[in-house]
Amino acid sequence: MINKKKFLGLRREWKPEEAESWTKEDWVAIIVSPIAYALLMIGLALLIFLKLEGLVLFLLGIGATVFLHYLIDPKLKAVSSEYEKKQKEYLERLEMVVRWKENE
Amino acid sequence: MIHFSPLDWMWLVLYLVLMTGCGLIFYRLGKRSEADFFLAGRGLPWWIPGISVYATHTATDTPIWVSGVIYKYGLRGLWYTFFSAWCAVAAFVSARIFRRSLAYSQAEWQSLRYSGLGAELLRGWMSGWGSFLNMFILGWVSMAMGKLCNYLFGWDNWIGLIIPSLIVALYVLSAGYWGVVMADFQQGIIAFFLIVFASIWGVRVAGGPAGIISKLEALGESWRLNPFHFSGFFSGDFPVAWFLTMIFIAILGGFGMGTSIDWYAEAQRIQSSKTVRDAAYSIWWGTALTLTRNSFWAAAIIAFFVLYPGITEAQQYEMAWYRIAFEHIPSGMMGFLFAGIIAIHFSTISTHLNLGAVYLTRDIFHHYIKPEASEKTLVFAGRVATAILLLGSFIYGLMMEEITRWLIFALWIMGAGMWLPNILQVVWWRFNSWGYLSAWIANLGFSWLIVWILPAFKLIPELPDYLQFWVLMVLTAFVYIPVTLLTPPEDKTHLAKYYAMTRPLGWWKPIKLEALRLGLIQGEAK
Repeated sequence: MINKKKFLGLRREWKPEEAESWTKEDWVAIIVSPIAYALLMIGLALLIFLKLEGLVLFLLGIGATVFLHYLIDPKLKAVSSEYEKKQKEYLERLEMVVRWKENE
Repeated sequence: MIHFSPLDWMWLVLYLVLMTGCGLIFYRLGKRSEADFFLAGRGLPWWIPGISVYATHTATDTPIWVSGVIYKYGLRGLWYTFFSAWCAVAAFVSARIFRRSLAYSQAEWQSLRYSGLGAELLRGWMSGWGSFLNMFILGWVSMAMGKLCNYLFGWDNWIGLIIPSLIVALYVLSAGYWGVVMADFQQGIIAFFLIVFASIWGVRVAGGPAGIISKLEALGESWRLNPFHFSGFFSGDFPVAWFLTMIFIAILGGFGMGTSIDWYAEAQRIQSSKTVRDAAYSIWWGTALTLTRNSFWAAAIIAFFVLYPGITEAQQYEMAWYRIAFEHIPSGMMGFLFAGIIAIHFSTISTHLNLGAVYLTRDIFHHYIKPEASEKTLVFAGRVATAILLLGSFIYGLMMEEITRWLIFALWIMGAGMWLPNILQVVWWRFNSWGYLSAWIANLGFSWLIVWILPAFKLIPELPDYLQFWVLMVLTAFVYIPVTLLTPPEDKTHLAKYYAMTRPLGWWKPIKLEALRLGLIQGEAK
C-alpha cells in the first residue's frame, strides 16, 4: 500500500492515475497562486522604498510561492508521467485531424 | 536627442551580433519539421519558455503604458497591470488542459473540443483573426519603436519601424520558434537586469527612497505609495467596484481559454514545453517575472513624478520610465540601455511573427489548402507566412494612427462578452460551437450598442469600462445560452476522446461516463 504523505492535511504523494482527477490540492493551488502574485508585486514595489510593510508582504509572497510549489509539484509530476505514456498516440490522432483522416 | 559614445556603440553592436547569431545557430533544428519550426519540437524545459513569456510581454510600448497608469494613479496603477494574474490560475488549470490537447494553436484546439461544421467555422475564423491580430500587434509595437528612435536620435518614424523588424526576421525566417525562444532567453535576461538597474538608478537620482518619500509628503502626494488608496466604492478615479471587477476578470479568466489576448502567445509556450509540469511552470514563472518587473518600473516612475510633478499631458508623462532611464544613466551605459530596449523589442516582434505564421501555416495552409503537405513544404510555408506577416506589419504600422481607435474597440469586443464563453467552453461539456459562434456575433452587436451607439443618441449614459463589462457579459449570455440549449450537443464520441486527452475541470460527468464506456479511460464513475 502506498504511503500517502500529507502536509497540513494535503496529499503530497500520488499514483499517476489518481493524479488525473481534480482534487482539493488543485483548488488550494488555485487560491494561493494569485495571492502569491499580489504579495510579490505589491511587496516588492514597497520594499524598493524601504518600507517595512513591503518587506513583510514580499516575504509572505515568497512563503506562498514556496508552499504552492511544495504542494502541487508532486501532483504535476505524476500527471506528466502518466500523460507522456499516451502522448505519441494522441499526436498521431492530432495529425489525422489536421489531414482530415480521422474516422469517427 | 541623445549622444552615443564609442562604448555605447560597442554595446549595441555586440548585442546585435549575439542576438542574431544566437537565432541563426538553430537553423538546422528549425527546418526539421512543422513541430520544430513552430514548437521547438515540444521538448523545452520550463525555464526557457518561461523567460520567453516574460520577454514577449516586455515590449517597447509596455513601459509607455505602465508609465501612464503609475504617473496618474501612483502604486494603485499596479493593479492595472495585475490583469496578467490570469496566469496564476491558468498555470494549474487551462495550461494543463491545453498542453494535454497538443493543439498547435487556440484555433486547432477548437476542432478538438468541438466537432462538425461548427468546429471548422470556428477554426477558420479564429485562424484568420489570429493572423490579423498578430499583424496588428506587430505594426503597433514597431511604430512604438519608430517613435522611440525619433525621440532618441531624431530619425524618421519609418526607420525604427522597419529596420529592427528586418533584423529580427533574419532569425525567425531561418530558425522559426527555435530562434525565437532561444533569442528570447538571452533577451529576457538582459532586459530584466537592465530594467532593474535603470529603475534603481532612477530612484537614486530622485533622492533615494527616503528622499522620494519626503518629497511626496512635501507635495501632499503621499497617497501615491498606497496601492489600496480607493476613491470610493463606485465614485472617483479609482473605485473599489473597478478593482473588484478587474480581480474577478483576471483570476477567474484563468479557468478559460482565450480570456486575454496574451493567451495566444502563452499557448505556444505551453505547447512547446516538454511536459504538463513544464507547461504550468513556464507561464507561472514568466508571469511572476512580469509582475515583479512592473514593481521596478513603478518605483522608477514614482521617482520621475517627484522630479517632474504636475505634468498633465499624457503623451509626456507616458515617457516617464524612458526619460528617467535615458536622461540620467551614467555615460557609457547608454548603449547598454538601448541594447536592452532593442532586446525587449526583438523578443516581442519575433514572437508575433512566428505565432501569426502558426495560424497561416498550420490552421489555414495545412488544414484547408494542402492537408497532405510534406514536412519540408510546411516549413517553407511557415517561412512564407512569416514574410507575409512582416510586410503586413509595415503597412499596419504606417497607417496605425488612423486604425488604432477601431482596433482597440475590436479588442474590447473580444474581452467583454466573450469572457464567460471562453470559460464555459473549458468547464461545461454541453456548451457547443453554435453557442460560441453566436456569442461572437451577439457580442459584436451589443458592444456597438452599449459602447457607442446608445450613448451617442443619449439613450443611455456613457458607462465606466467596468460597468460595460458586466452589462455586455449579461446581455451576450441571453443569446448564447438559449442557442446552446436549443441546438444539439457536440458528438459524444468526439467529446469522449477530447475528455480522455485533456481531463478538463468542471461539469463533464456524461462525457466521463461515455469515455469509460468506450474504454478510453479506466476507473469508476463517481
